[in-house]
Amino acid sequence: MIVVLLIVHGLLAVALLGAITHQAWSVVPRRGAAGTVSFVGRFRTVDSAAYATAVVVLFVITAIGGALLYPQYRIDVRTTLEDLQLRAANGVFEIKEHLVAIGLGLLPTYWLYWKAPLVPEQAAARRYLTWLLAFFVWWGFLVGHVLNNIKGLLP
Amino acid sequence: MTAPHRHPSVEIFSMLFSIVYLTCFYMDWAPFRYYPETLRFHLRMTPQDGPAILWYGWVAAAAVVSAAIAVAVPRRLAERLWPAWAAWAVPLIIVVLVLLYERRWFV
Repeated sequence: MIVVLLIVHGLLAVALLGAITHQAWSVVPRRGAAGTVSFVGRFRTVDSAAYATAVVVLFVITAIGGALLYPQYRIDVRTTLEDLQLRAANGVFEIKEHLVAIGLGLLPTYWLYWKAPLVPEQAAARRYLTWLLAFFVWWGFLVGHVLNNIKGLLP
Repeated sequence: MTAPHRHPSVEIFSMLFSIVYLTCFYMDWAPFRYYPETLRFHLRMTPQDGPAILWYGWVAAAAVVSAAIAVAVPRRLAERLWPAWAAWAVPLIIVVLVLLYERRWFV
């Protein structure tokens, strides 16, 4: 059961990562109108606002999945990391749980700022809120995968 | 003057959430603790039940306290107290503080 939950948690995280990365890239200020033909150009020319609700839902569900997995992590993984004296691995996970918590608190404001009609005066706030969430999601994704595979990554 | 597109209660919630969360974490205070080895919640530290998880308590405390304050503060006062950019700047500052504090794991 815990393995199924872990896989579902990972898959949801992939979807969340894709959505928030598209949106975060789309709000990077553009230099001129060129660039829509390239892969990067097409990657960013998405309907940014359309991702907001999906990001909120995916973030909450993925966080709940992580919270359900956390007891197993606390008993098995963290004690193993402590036994192996891998302090940095424990540290990056501690940061991950803080970022997820702060992200959960940020979601209502993020969602409201992306709610139609988009107010031009709020473009900067929308951009920074999106980049903050993108940082949280990328950190959580990378740390989760590294810790999940840490026994195979270590010599 | 009140800007019609602003939602100060929601912005206050997000700002306070990160502040209350950091305070709880820094003070090592949680309204409850979960002990995964015995599958039990406790209001107080119970070392005989094994390692505790405080994170659920920190998140719950941050949600309840910040929601209560966000609802209680009048809209006009909230708009005067906090500019719109604080909605993202305060959480950003909290993240920087968290990263600075958690350097302890890497030294």
